[in-house]
Amino acid sequence: MKAFFAMLWASVVMLSRNRVLLITSLGLAVVSILIFGWLFGSNGASTLSLGVVDQDHSAISQQIVANLKHNKSLVVHEGSTDAETQALRNGQRGAVIVMPAGFGAAFMQGDAAMQVYYDQSSPVEQAIAQAAVQSIIASLNQQSSAHTAHVTLHEQAVNTHNLRQVDWLTPGMLGMLLMWANLPVGVTLVSWRKEGIMKRLAATPLRPSALIGSQILARLLLSLGQGVILLAVAIFVFKVQIIGSWMALLATTTLGALAMLAIGFVIGSFARTAEVADAISMLISFPMMFLGGSYFPTSSAPAFLAPLINVLPLSYLNDALRQIINNGASLASVQTDLLVLAGWLVAALLLSVRAFRWA
Amino acid sequence: MAQTSTLSNPLITQADVSFAEAMVNVKGLVKRYGRFVAVNDVSLSIRRGEIFGVLGPNGAGKTTTLEIIEGIRKADAGEVIVDGLDVRTHRRAIQQRIGVQLQATTLFPDLTACETINLFGALYPHATNTAELLAEVGLTEKASARPQDLSGGQRQRLALALALVNNPTLVFLDEPTSGLDPQSRRMLWDTVLRLRERGKTVVLTTHFMDEAQTLCDRIAIMDHGMIIAQDTPAGLIATLGASAAITCEFTENGAPSHAITATELRALPGVTDARDGLEHKVIYTAHVEQTLVALLQYAAARSVTMNHLQVNAPTLEDVFLKLTGRGLRD
Repeated sequence: MKAFFAMLWASVVMLSRNRVLLITSLGLAVVSILIFGWLFGSNGASTLSLGVVDQDHSAISQQIVANLKHNKSLVVHEGSTDAETQALRNGQRGAVIVMPAGFGAAFMQGDAAMQVYYDQSSPVEQAIAQAAVQSIIASLNQQSSAHTAHVTLHEQAVNTHNLRQVDWLTPGMLGMLLMWANLPVGVTLVSWRKEGIMKRLAATPLRPSALIGSQILARLLLSLGQGVILLAVAIFVFKVQIIGSWMALLATTTLGALAMLAIGFVIGSFARTAEVADAISMLISFPMMFLGGSYFPTSSAPAFLAPLINVLPLSYLNDALRQIINNGASLASVQTDLLVLAGWLVAALLLSVRAFRWA
Repeated sequence: MAQTSTLSNPLITQADVSFAEAMVNVKGLVKRYGRFVAVNDVSLSIRRGEIFGVLGPNGAGKTTTLEIIEGIRKADAGEVIVDGLDVRTHRRAIQQRIGVQLQATTLFPDLTACETINLFGALYPHATNTAELLAEVGLTEKASARPQDLSGGQRQRLALALALVNNPTLVFLDEPTSGLDPQSRRMLWDTVLRLRERGKTVVLTTHFMDEAQTLCDRIAIMDHGMIIAQDTPAGLIATLGASAAITCEFTENGAPSHAITATELRALPGVTDARDGLEHKVIYTAHVEQTLVALLQYAAARSVTMNHLQVNAPTLEDVFLKLTGRGLRD
């Protein structure tokens, strides 16, 4: 145990002296939050300007419009399809929903569909509009199955999307930080192997498990420390609210960090030189940073990218963190995300154990 | 049948070291990398409290042999007993009582000298005092320097300190002086001799003949993965049967003479052996005066001039040349 803690302490000291690592992980995330937070304003909740086109004019569609107008975070404009989509293009609307003719009748048969247009250039408004429309659909479906004629919106559900750019960005930056802080563990391992440090350690009574364990724990502690600093900046500078529980956040952060570490170990097992490991890490990290939804939502990405986005561990980590931080989700409600992350963790661990080389 | 040929080699002294007093006993060690045989049936015995040198050119298998004894590599065949323990079954117990300096100096980046020693000390049940160790290798003033701020010699001395951090009874130093300036070399020699004074057993590899001759109590000469001789430096040199090595250059009208051959020189009185150097000839003799007189007459009779005449005591270099026909750093 003495050897394990000595390795742990030395690893934490070395990591905290590694400027490149600190700049790419914590530095990048904090700077991004500061820039986006200040650029796009952090004071005052934005309201979504929502265009509603009612081509149906049924009791149900009118009920929906009335309910939307009650929602304080929405400013509802009624108009024709052409007028509203033009307003969307001009940036005057965040989103437009269209209830086609026959919507009410279809709804009574449990088969109603509405058209939704988003402004793709504005991530926050897009996120708000999506959430608003999703909650409308959810509440409609609920009532539809209950065969109730009255349609009411859960106003609170829409109200939680009192979301600012910086609120939305914070979990994404946390996810990105976890990726940048942990994926390069492979580079460290390869350089230790290449420079003979591993061989020197192999001449001591240090157990391999203690070495690997100390590396994992050191990175984890570093990730948590950096995460705390990042969230402190978000909370104290921009008054970002952590709506979910800290325990759920801690658990998700830990799982995310471990999954990234395991992928790092795989890179470390296959790469022959530190330069190659570094290049592979970069090649994975950079696309994942953008496609994983750290900076902007990926729901509007072209269809051919969807299969890629849907396997990226960062996509699931960011989603889970957003649900917890922005929406107060419990671990149970983000279990799909957590399961995918756990799957990545197990698969990568198995792969790296099979391919691991000491020298 | 490498085993038989090794034993029949007259340069190998019989295994006169009893099991109890041997610190290291290696028998029939083999290590292959694909079809390449890096260590080919190596047997050696290292006594307690001696400085044992493994001498040989690069690629002779010195490092691989040491790394198998240290428990870093696994042998394909053979037995290694260190301090009465089998390395295959008691690797960790052995590693607790040995100290290792690898050929390439490898240190953690971003850790200071002091932190590095503390870290390695914590890997063992008992560690020596860090400040004393720094003083021992002359790095007290560099205690808070990181590897990138240390010179090559200083890094090597820090690696030596790491080899001593657990107060080992057996210390392995793999080419500890390669790349060192003469002053650092002397310092390291002193440290090695102090280790022996303190009763430690030291195993070192080198391709410096003078180093082996000065430091080592006994030497194993390795070539192509095999031990071709194993004895004290004096014993090895005695096998030449010569009391002196005469080196000289023969010239004819200012140009090197090709008329003189080693075969002819071997026929001169007192000569035990002769060989061609780059520009010169080396003549080994058991009777220096007799041979010198004959040599001068021989040169006069052939009307060649003798230049750069030197008479030296034979060295391990000569032993190696005789055994392999090659220089150590060819």
